[in-house]
Amino acid sequence: MNVERLTGLSIEALYALAEKMGLDLPAGLERLFVMESILEAFEEDLVDRKSSGQTASHMEEKKFSGSELDEIDASLDAAPCIENRYNETVIHLIPRDPEWAFVFWDIKDDDFDGLCRGSESAGLILRVGMNPGPDGTCQDSFDVNVSQEDDHWYLQLPEADADYRVELYARCNPRPRLLARSNTIRTPRALTAESMDALDETAVEVAALSGLDSLMPQQVPDRHPSRILGGFDD
Amino acid sequence: METGSIALVLNAHLPFVRQPDYPSFLEERWLFEALSETYLPLLRLFARLETEKIPWKITMAVSPTLLAMLADQLLKDRYVAWLEKQLELAGKELERCEGDPVFFPLAQTYYDLYLQNLDDFKVLHGGNVLAVLDFYYKKGRLELMTSGATHSFLPMYRAYPESIAAQVENAVVTFRSAFGRSPSGFWMPQLGWYPGIEKTLSAYGLQYTIVTTRSAMLGKPTPLTGSYAPLSCPNGFMTYVRDVAATESVWSETDGYPADPAYRDFYRDIGFDLPVDYVGPYIDQNQVRTYTGFKYWAITGHTDQKVPYDADLASAKAVEHAENFLYSRTRQARKAAALMDRPALMVAPYDAELFGHSWFEGLQWLEALFRKAQGTSELRFVTLGEYRKEYPEAQKSVPEFSSWGEGGYAAAWLEKSNAWIYRHSFKIAERMVELAERFPNESGLRERVLNQAAREALLVQASDWPFLLRAGKSGSFARKQIEDAVTNFCRIYEMLCANTVGTEWLTHLEKRNNIFPNINYRVFRRKR
Repeated sequence: MNVERLTGLSIEALYALAEKMGLDLPAGLERLFVMESILEAFEEDLVDRKSSGQTASHMEEKKFSGSELDEIDASLDAAPCIENRYNETVIHLIPRDPEWAFVFWDIKDDDFDGLCRGSESAGLILRVGMNPGPDGTCQDSFDVNVSQEDDHWYLQLPEADADYRVELYARCNPRPRLLARSNTIRTPRALTAESMDALDETAVEVAALSGLDSLMPQQVPDRHPSRILGGFDD
Repeated sequence: METGSIALVLNAHLPFVRQPDYPSFLEERWLFEALSETYLPLLRLFARLETEKIPWKITMAVSPTLLAMLADQLLKDRYVAWLEKQLELAGKELERCEGDPVFFPLAQTYYDLYLQNLDDFKVLHGGNVLAVLDFYYKKGRLELMTSGATHSFLPMYRAYPESIAAQVENAVVTFRSAFGRSPSGFWMPQLGWYPGIEKTLSAYGLQYTIVTTRSAMLGKPTPLTGSYAPLSCPNGFMTYVRDVAATESVWSETDGYPADPAYRDFYRDIGFDLPVDYVGPYIDQNQVRTYTGFKYWAITGHTDQKVPYDADLASAKAVEHAENFLYSRTRQARKAAALMDRPALMVAPYDAELFGHSWFEGLQWLEALFRKAQGTSELRFVTLGEYRKEYPEAQKSVPEFSSWGEGGYAAAWLEKSNAWIYRHSFKIAERMVELAERFPNESGLRERVLNQAAREALLVQASDWPFLLRAGKSGSFARKQIEDAVTNFCRIYEMLCANTVGTEWLTHLEKRNNIFPNINYRVFRRKR
């Protein structure tokens, strides 16, 4: 993004861009001040993006040579322009890594209107079940409370290499009402399938030579999903 | 005595970008730039090595989307037109830099590059790059693999076996129509592997793939040979393991060879540096500044004060880095082979476009690698298929779900910027199965409609769009690609539900998204 590019935008567009970038500017500023604020914020964002990105990803990005429009795109973080739902009651669960899964759902308008008719609904519940059996019962479960406006969530899961399923409930009195049940997923292993102690010395040495140490779980990355969403259920 | 083998694997891939409705299109340049800086120079490299009888072996995955674009006449014509414009700009650069002892030779280099590309593409290859790849394939120097039909990140669609089958089937069919034989190897897009996919791959006659070290080491049971030998799934499907050290030395932008200060800087380009009045005719039609390919500065370091690029210095560095690579791999192989009953295999997979395009001197490095390895007895280059014939036995182990993306799993394709895609692509995957079940024996117009629906269902699954959305590069374009495929599919779905077909619209769409001409929508029938 540069001054030349911003000069072509109307003052309204500049204010809209500033708002998208999270800048709270007082009304009635000279356009020069608005442009300066945007450029400063953009430079800060750029430094953040560069430092949080992984180097190999940057290498791969180069084959998609971009343009100066990329900078505005990245700042605008625009939403898709298509209808975001299919008016059905459904929930999907996707494993992301050993610790996290992504869940998204939709509630059919008719079901939504009828939620807890006669009683006051106070949102939705995601009931996360671990290792569900064939009879539907789970070895363990925990609840995540979400609002009726939410339609997706990142779930932190207690164990790697385990099966999970999520049930979507309307929070009603006297008891929650089941709306949908997700597919079952398995989270990947974060550690080797067998303890290294169980392997012979040669295998352990070859594993070390293969870079096994560099693959072991690391500290929580900067791109923590809870930061992406800006808030997690307790 | 031979202690190790190196399998260099290049993944040549670009997403399907073809916009016949516009006279020119910014993102079509991805193909033109890759042709100019990677694919055509790579073919020249192969020819030089052959002429000088220097032994070389490379395994190369060519994605179905790239195959389709390389065979497409509209894109071929546009590439020639683009090259002519590049030559025009190169001519202007020669004038601008005349008398400058530093920049004029560089301008001359670019002029020569584009002139050579134009001559090679039009005259030497007759526009048929695939035929040249096939020539080396038949000679046994180059082993070709296929990849997911639209380079989908397959672990994301594991709940949709019909989509997985469609990704694999259309890849195999596309490969067969390009090269007249079936592929043996399958490149997992983004090295995204999950347990169970080997059954689908084997069902289509595929025999091997490459997985990350993480996939292999976290597999079950734990491999006893680390990353130095392939593994075999219980059904016999073989998984080669990416070598961490060999890949990091090239991939890492901070610690890898491409980060050397002497190499050409990718980002400093006259498209951004010179006045719009000057570069205007050679950038986007809307005068949006973009890369032109004319770059005169060296990486230098973490500074804006770049020093001019010195081609001789950079070439010497590429040779030095090739020697270092061979030296490091030899030491590594010695250590590993001492612990094994066979020479250590080091599999080094890279994006093909890294060489020449992203890392300008990468092809010189590659060439030096083969030249320097000539005559050494400790290391040799092999293709994956060749190795499999030589060592058909492998430890039984099923690799774990993993990828080569950030974090090692699915995080790069599933985060704030791109998670919205799956709400649509999953729905489309479900609806495509529904359509294939409802209309199993269609012909004529309705079959055309269903086949186009299948194309759109595959296009929406491309892993490139979530990658670009996350990277903040060409974000609007990536979003539009998804939106268009979703909108097209939904329109077809509604037409079929209403039993009406807009023939004119369909024909227009078939002409635009003309990938997979032999697609059979029935691949989406429910897997029982």
